[in-house]
Amino acid sequence: MEWDTVAAAFGQIGQWQTILLMIGGVAAGLLAGSIPGFTIAMAVVLTLPFTFSMPPEQGLATMIAVLVGGLSGGLMSGILTGIPGTPSSVATTFDGFPMARQGDPGFALGLGVWSSFCGGMISAVMLVLFAPQLAQIGLEFLPWDFFMLVIFALTVTASLAGANLIKGLIAGAMGLLIRTVGEDEAVGVGRFDFGSDYLLSGFDFIAVLIGLFAFSQLLADVRDPAKATRALTDMGAVRVRIEHRRAIRELLKRWVVVVRSAFIGIFTGILPGAGGSIANILAYDQAKKASKEPETFGKGNPAGIIAPETSNNAVEGGALTPLMALGIPGDVTAAIMLGALLIHDIVPGPTFIAEQPVLSYSIFIAFFAANFIMLGLQSVMLRVFVLVTRIPMYILAGCILGLASIGVFALHNSLDDVHTLFWFGLLGFAMRQFGFPLAPMILGVVLGNVAEINLARALAIDTDLTLFVTRPWAMFFAIIAVFSAVFPWYQTARARGDGWTRYYAPAMLLAVALPLSMMDGLLRPILAATSVTIALWLGWRALRPSKA
Amino acid sequence: MAVNRDTISAIVLLLICGGLAWASLDIREPDYGQLSPATWPRIIVGAMSVLCLIYLFQSLRQGPDPKNPDAPKTVRAFLGYWKNVIWCFVMFAIYLIAIPWVGLLVAGIGFVFLLLTALGGVRLAWLHALLATIVVGGMWAFFTFGLNVFLPRGEWTGF
Repeated sequence: MEWDTVAAAFGQIGQWQTILLMIGGVAAGLLAGSIPGFTIAMAVVLTLPFTFSMPPEQGLATMIAVLVGGLSGGLMSGILTGIPGTPSSVATTFDGFPMARQGDPGFALGLGVWSSFCGGMISAVMLVLFAPQLAQIGLEFLPWDFFMLVIFALTVTASLAGANLIKGLIAGAMGLLIRTVGEDEAVGVGRFDFGSDYLLSGFDFIAVLIGLFAFSQLLADVRDPAKATRALTDMGAVRVRIEHRRAIRELLKRWVVVVRSAFIGIFTGILPGAGGSIANILAYDQAKKASKEPETFGKGNPAGIIAPETSNNAVEGGALTPLMALGIPGDVTAAIMLGALLIHDIVPGPTFIAEQPVLSYSIFIAFFAANFIMLGLQSVMLRVFVLVTRIPMYILAGCILGLASIGVFALHNSLDDVHTLFWFGLLGFAMRQFGFPLAPMILGVVLGNVAEINLARALAIDTDLTLFVTRPWAMFFAIIAVFSAVFPWYQTARARGDGWTRYYAPAMLLAVALPLSMMDGLLRPILAATSVTIALWLGWRALRPSKA
Repeated sequence: MAVNRDTISAIVLLLICGGLAWASLDIREPDYGQLSPATWPRIIVGAMSVLCLIYLFQSLRQGPDPKNPDAPKTVRAFLGYWKNVIWCFVMFAIYLIAIPWVGLLVAGIGFVFLLLTALGGVRLAWLHALLATIVVGGMWAFFTFGLNVFLPRGEWTGF
């Protein structure tokens, strides 16, 4: 770590304009996160057009502020109304709302706020420590490996659609296809333009993201005329004082829950496509299983608030790690961050941290700073939140649609982008109605170019197609992609009690050991040997019941 | 054979795949470069076609959609059910058409006002007009004077 770089990054983030923008960003994020029906991704994607005229450090700091605010905002409505503001805070309501109804809303909010802060800080530390290390590994990747990494990312994201794996894969393929429309980047040949100049210039992917995510979400929010004209919640005047000291004492007492949930969040964030919506449920489940009093969960157990809130805030540090180290976003919001970098002609990859040290450290510092700002703003925004929830959804949706169109136009001063917003809003809405997950599609749109460029590079170096599955890293990603594609069937079969599911984990560990054993160095062959040992042990355990 | 929503969407997707496969034949093949510009789109279309076929077979196996008593049965009920969504799209389409003629400021205010009034009723039209002016006007001023972005001017209005 070079201290002059860190100082320069501090200089960028410490400017009063940046701090003001971050305060505004956290406040906006807190509000967006607290409004049921709004998503964090929507808040971040709507911020994107407003950051294009800012220096990259300032623009990204603003978006990180919105993100951190959004991750923490969901707890307010979850605890006070029982309606989670975002999918990331679903589990918070299980114990937060009962605790608030038992007359302890200040303590519940305090636990939520400080757990969010701890989760954010732990994941920020992990981001600073691990992103450069992962980037070092990323330097080993050649085009075959990058191509397979993209395929792996899309497969994992699609497999998270659960029973809708095929729909997830189709959505991913559609995303890749959308990115091929227009001039080919390598040789400038038009593709799928059907003689139209609009199609020949391709779709701006920021407009695509806003259309798919924000426009379609707003339409879904106002679909029901009765709901659209009602206030968001029927919450009356709320006078709650957040109990900070009591919450901190409780958190210190339950530090194991905090650390475990933070690591669950970070790990979930690193996995492409998995986000806070999964992490908060996983962490809650683990906290309940590890508790000596599991029967009190759902009735206002403090650990039931600490676990989900720590994990959902820890997700983003995890999701930003592969983005900064490899250029592969860990979730939809990280994909939008990638969009913000691309607006400024910065393409993240393994050399990103080395080539853009000030920007990288600015991102790290902004992540820390946003968590502190969030802590300070929660109490203030609580009052604003109560006011905002009295506004009917149709007013918010109508105004945001108007703002989004202006923001999208401003990206390139082009009305074509506003048309793109419209068409992709329609597509996104139709996909939601037919049960297609949008996350794989977004990743497909974002990673389509990366896949094609690396495919072209790989074939330019060597036309041997077997390299896509025989090079150690490419093989590693291919194996995990196959196992993640099978995962939804594994889950269903396991619930049915099918015997073959006992061999899933040993088979995966054995398969992964092969590429690891082919890699250079000492650590990875040791990991391969460990993997084989665990696989054999699990296999032996799986065989035992059948003998009996 | 039971036809359900998924069957219909699988057939539509297969038709789109067919159309795109056909369109990929029109992609020019230059004499240079290792990877033809048509290769990657064809790989995706091929993979997507296979996935859509699996989707089609899955949908055929799952039988008809469960009966939904709330589902609209007549055209009138259908329009009523999707009224708000249709309003949003129609208003946005009109807004897009209007921008070159009246400019983004006027079209934007008009769009937000009309959309809010269509969704929320005319009773609060004054509030909708106020909100539309403040929100769109404020954002227009922010971009025009704050960020020096020249938003589209109208051929008729001149601003």
